[in-house]
Amino acid sequence: MTALLILSPLIMLAALGAVWKARPVHAGLLLALTLSLAGMLYIALGAEFLGLVQFMVYVGAVAVLIVFALLITRPRDEIEEIARRPKSVGPGLLCTLPLLATLLYTVDRTLPEAPPGTADLPVRRIGELLFTTHAPAVLAVAILLTAVMLGAALFAREPSKKP
Amino acid sequence: MKTLIAQAAEPSLWSPEWLPLLPKRLVENLLEHFNAPGWLVSIGGIAAGAATVLAVFMTAFALLSLIERKTLARAQNRIGPNRAGPFGILQPVADGIKMLTKEDIVPAKAEKLLHLLAPILIVIPAIMALGVLPYGREWTPVPLELGLLFFFALGALTEVSVFIAGWASGSKFPMLGAMRAISQMVSYELPLVLSAIAVIMVSGTLSLPEIVAHQGGYHLGFLPAWHILTPWGLVGGLVFFIASIGEANRCPFDLPEGESEIVAGHMTEYSGFKYALFFMGEYLGLFAISGLGVTLFLGGWQAPFPGLGFVPSWIWFFAKLAAVIFLFLWIRATFPRLRMDQLMRFGWLALIPMSLLTIPAAGIWTLLHRAGHGLIAWVVTIALLVVPFVIMTVLFNRGLARSNRTYRFAES
Amino acid sequence: MKPPTQNGPKPKSAKPGKWVVPGLGLLQGLAVTGKNMLQSFYKKERMTTVPYPEQRAPISPNYRNIPFLCYDDDPEAGLRCTACKICEKSCPPECIYIVMDRDENGKALKRPKVFDIDASVCMGCGLCAEVCPFDSIYMDGQFELATDDRFEGLQLHLHDLAKSAEYHLQLRPKEASEVLARRKADAEKKAAKAAAKAKADAEKKAKAEAEQTAKTEDPPKEEGGSE
Repeated sequence: MTALLILSPLIMLAALGAVWKARPVHAGLLLALTLSLAGMLYIALGAEFLGLVQFMVYVGAVAVLIVFALLITRPRDEIEEIARRPKSVGPGLLCTLPLLATLLYTVDRTLPEAPPGTADLPVRRIGELLFTTHAPAVLAVAILLTAVMLGAALFAREPSKKP
Repeated sequence: MKTLIAQAAEPSLWSPEWLPLLPKRLVENLLEHFNAPGWLVSIGGIAAGAATVLAVFMTAFALLSLIERKTLARAQNRIGPNRAGPFGILQPVADGIKMLTKEDIVPAKAEKLLHLLAPILIVIPAIMALGVLPYGREWTPVPLELGLLFFFALGALTEVSVFIAGWASGSKFPMLGAMRAISQMVSYELPLVLSAIAVIMVSGTLSLPEIVAHQGGYHLGFLPAWHILTPWGLVGGLVFFIASIGEANRCPFDLPEGESEIVAGHMTEYSGFKYALFFMGEYLGLFAISGLGVTLFLGGWQAPFPGLGFVPSWIWFFAKLAAVIFLFLWIRATFPRLRMDQLMRFGWLALIPMSLLTIPAAGIWTLLHRAGHGLIAWVVTIALLVVPFVIMTVLFNRGLARSNRTYRFAES
Repeated sequence: MKPPTQNGPKPKSAKPGKWVVPGLGLLQGLAVTGKNMLQSFYKKERMTTVPYPEQRAPISPNYRNIPFLCYDDDPEAGLRCTACKICEKSCPPECIYIVMDRDENGKALKRPKVFDIDASVCMGCGLCAEVCPFDSIYMDGQFELATDDRFEGLQLHLHDLAKSAEYHLQLRPKEASEVLARRKADAEKKAAKAAAKAKADAEKKAKAEAEQTAKTEDPPKEEGGSE
């Protein structure tokens, strides 16, 4: 519980910073920080597997790729971005506040008590569940990712010079 | 974290097997003697254990910086550093003093905070990774149940900190170096993890001490049951080794800091102790990844021959670690640096397919062994790995024959 | 695109019928460095490094650096230099500075009072040694000229430059022995000539004395007209 109390404000701050920072790379790094803090929260709450996978996949691959992509793309003019900011606060809040309210309401209402025995799920059990009960979902995701990778490879391929 | 940490065995004092744990137990006993509260005792013990690991690897780091130069010198028929102390043994001390007393320069265009943070962030994951390795039968500083996953998760932090170092310097060579480093690390982490997956499949656990325990015993009475001595393990171990050269930014995959092109890559704008931290992070990372390789494929602390049980197990681990690191040095002394496109081509077209092949091979190996067909398992896995290799060789030769070497940017 | 020009030998794969097994070349490379690593421990000819301040590689007789001044027996009196200043004039970077020594009457003493060479300017061309007609100036083998004073410390004076003929003999035995032999021959010739002259003079003198004794009223002549 203490971990939740310490980490969740930090996560919120980092996430706000990620949205608020004018420099894209700063925002990207703060996003990485948010994701890694979330990973720490998972670990603190006892979901070590999820937390470490969060680190490996989201911090190691996704956030790094986002930051990398930001580097390659041309950075927008930051002053312009800062000037535009006050105008975008209103619509932004208008969009997010209802979402937040809905989330709070549903989570408060519908969050079930954890069934007994699932509190510390061993990794072996997670693996077994993934490859038996949830195998179709895993396969679907795998096929999707393979297709995405092939597509990316096709896009990235240099057009052959030979006629 | 209770579920994360497996139960440690009970200590038996002063035996050589328990020698590395002596500081930890001395501190614990001392604190208990003065009736310290339980949490203080455990914290003191953890600190002493961490200090032991750190002391061992800092010494190893200092020695390696000398041995590396000596080895490279020998490969080039030179003598190497021999001025500071007998055989240059005090060279690391001299280097350290030099690094510490150098001016710390922060470029005017640098992001001050991130520029400071990057070298720290690069050392921390390396040290943390060293904490989960099983060094001996009784000596695993932090026996995590998810040790392997933890190890790879820390690799992610290294990538981010290299990126931060390159970007925060506010200069173009570090930026280029960081871009190279990230694309290389992301590409080479794939074969690294994939070849480790084969090991996970066979041993059925993510805990590093258990993976080592799984490699105990001997085939036919003399051949150790290490993973490297199986068909899939040989291929997986080779792929893991090559990919770990890439992950550790070592020659011939040291493009991120290619001196001839981009000065020192992401470390260009660092000086003094910050540079030393990068250096330290790199070497500790090298120790960590070599240690993981030893754990996964070379049987960790298992003795190479039966009847060597009287030697403390951690000696075997460090002997194997030294051998692997010597291989790193040897390779550095031999091969020239790759070009970026060659690096990527090799990673994606050679390493990843081979590492993918080890996964079905490991699966078939496990299934057949469970069914009791050990010999068939050998034949099938060898076939499964050799046939694609032959196909790859054929394709490679065809490609060589067809490709008339052209240099797009160097034609005149 | 035209086919690129290949400098080195063609890659092995280009030959038809030869197969390249991936990784074999790498192993060959490892074997080469491994051999180097091993043999450097026991094969003398592999380790060519000379740990310099303690041991020195022999200097080639052809090595030349800043010039030095040769003397025969005494660093002051035996100096071969006559301060003729030919070397000073021939020096392209003008790093030689010579002042001739004179006695109190202002008569030239045919030896240098000041002979300076600026080592920071000297380019080691050896023209001074080439032109010297008195076998005095030669190129040195000295290379440890480092000093903590880059102005005065690199200014070589007469006492720095004066080195014995034995040193020269040691540095460049062939050249020095030839020079010494020639000098010795010259000196002998000169001595013979001088002796002959002295003999002639003595004869002349004797003749004159004989004449003098014959003509007793003549005024006294100068004594010993030696040259």
